Amino acid sequence: MDQMTNALRGEGIALSFGGIKVLKGLDVDFRAGEITGLIGPNGAGKTSLFNCLTGAYSPQKGTISYAGQPLNGLPPAARAARGIVRSFQHVALCPDLTVRENVMMGLARTGTAGWLSAFLPLPRGRQERSDMARAADAALADLGLPDVGDRHPGELPPGMQRLVEIARAVVGKPSVLMLDEPAAGLNNAETQDLTAALRKLVSPDLVMVVVEHDMDLVMSICDRIYVLNFGEFVAVGSPAEVRSNPDVIRIYLGSDEDE
Amino acid sequence: MSDQVSHMPSPPSALSRLSGLATPGVTAVVLVTLLLFLPALLGGSWTFTLGLCFANSIGVLAVSLLVRYGGEVSIGHTFFTALGAYSVGVLDTRYGISLWASVPLALVLGVAFGLLFAWPSRNLHGIYLAVTTLALALAVPEMINNFDGLTGGYEGLYVATPFLPGVDMGAQRYYVALAMLVLVCFAVARLRLSRQGMALLLAKTHPAAADAFGTRRVWARISVMGISGGVGALCGATLAFSGSTVSPGGFTFWQAIFLLVGSVVSFYGLSLPRVLIGGAFVTLVPQLLSASGAWIPVLYGLALLGMILIGHYMPRIRKALNRNRETG
Repeated sequence: MDQMTNALRGEGIALSFGGIKVLKGLDVDFRAGEITGLIGPNGAGKTSLFNCLTGAYSPQKGTISYAGQPLNGLPPAARAARGIVRSFQHVALCPDLTVRENVMMGLARTGTAGWLSAFLPLPRGRQERSDMARAADAALADLGLPDVGDRHPGELPPGMQRLVEIARAVVGKPSVLMLDEPAAGLNNAETQDLTAALRKLVSPDLVMVVVEHDMDLVMSICDRIYVLNFGEFVAVGSPAEVRSNPDVIRIYLGSDEDE
Repeated sequence: MSDQVSHMPSPPSALSRLSGLATPGVTAVVLVTLLLFLPALLGGSWTFTLGLCFANSIGVLAVSLLVRYGGEVSIGHTFFTALGAYSVGVLDTRYGISLWASVPLALVLGVAFGLLFAWPSRNLHGIYLAVTTLALALAVPEMINNFDGLTGGYEGLYVATPFLPGVDMGAQRYYVALAMLVLVCFAVARLRLSRQGMALLLAKTHPAAADAFGTRRVWARISVMGISGGVGALCGATLAFSGSTVSPGGFTFWQAIFLLVGSVVSFYGLSLPRVLIGGAFVTLVPQLLSASGAWIPVLYGLALLGMILIGHYMPRIRKALNRNRETG
């Protein structure tokens, strides 16, 4: 399949909370083989759009599809079963699980061992756990965290927790990967590791969407960028096109009239 | 020379070497070994009481499971214990069928009714779910009395069929309860390592994250109640066999509260030592206080407070003891 047929598409996505229109009929076309950036000021509607695409919110209008298959009405778990996964703006790791186990949860949808294996030491369950643990360790190592698997999330600094969450998102080899502010809380070295890891993930079958405030990161890794403001797109294009767009400059730097 | 000696790290004491060996698995093995030989040292009445203690520990574990994996509190688990107890009692009394068949039936019924209860209450949380479970607890004695043709009503049922024919019944009532407790603790420890167990924990702390990775929060809530109901029914089945009688008085609202108290006293622990502490509190404290007359509620409250305070300050006490040992 080419990158067009593997795309995550939304047409006319509209979402309101009470009388407040959060998303105003958005058309999106997130293509496989690319990293697409979604930027905009706070409150622009980026996370709401994410939530509509992953099924956490149900938009009042519009259609959402992946690879030509409609996703409207499917709950998040059903979308996850189709390989559509996300990370969260606020780190959502389970404190009761070790770091490795948190990452293993990214593979939960692929598990086949039944309930009997959950309570008894049957070979199938043990094999599943050891396979998942191995994949989790590899995902952590790819993100520069090879030695933290046995620790608990609370023992790690916020930046590392963010990377663990990204490892959980990528470990299951998703078909759509949506990262909500992945670089938030990361230091420079960690951001560089993340940048390198995201570049390595690019493949012809993977749709990758990144919501991010770190403009250096967005401009350096994204092939296309959507700029959202007050629930509407004000610009779509390559990093160079977006950087020179007067509306984007006005939104981010402020116009003379604002001063 | 003396300076050199003072700067050398002191060799670990025998006590610290021992505490280093005390992994949860080793602790459980030592504890079970002690419990295996305990009847040889104790009299018959204590052996009987400890059998009940093991059964109640399973009930405490059922309540703690719901707290730890579902984040919810139940004040109605006697519904499930009654289900298990009457499965054993009815099959034994009416049909002469032993635990070999009645325990699996109790487990299936406990899980099934746990799921049945969880489905309509799947969107209830916190105090609302707790009050709903209260309805279960209040209904149990009335239901038992209404079906007196089957349950024996107020008089109850007497469980007499041995698990292992030819073996002393008093010993069976102790060792079957101990074996059941060890097996349930083992299964619950396995659950923690499984994909399903990890998914339940993630769904408890971050339902949206669990959803995003393929674990439906409704599945999680229903599963936890099913598991907890099944373990609750095993508690009842064990109580019926170890206690030898099954009657409505054993499944009142107050019994449900005592199971919750046992769970709190064990700090919702799921390990063998922790649930034994909870089970011992539920079983032994009322027995030890039975001669105190009108002071029973007061002394029970003080015992409860004492246990909670000891548990609360234990980490600090342990830290202070370690510090003293290092400096000494």
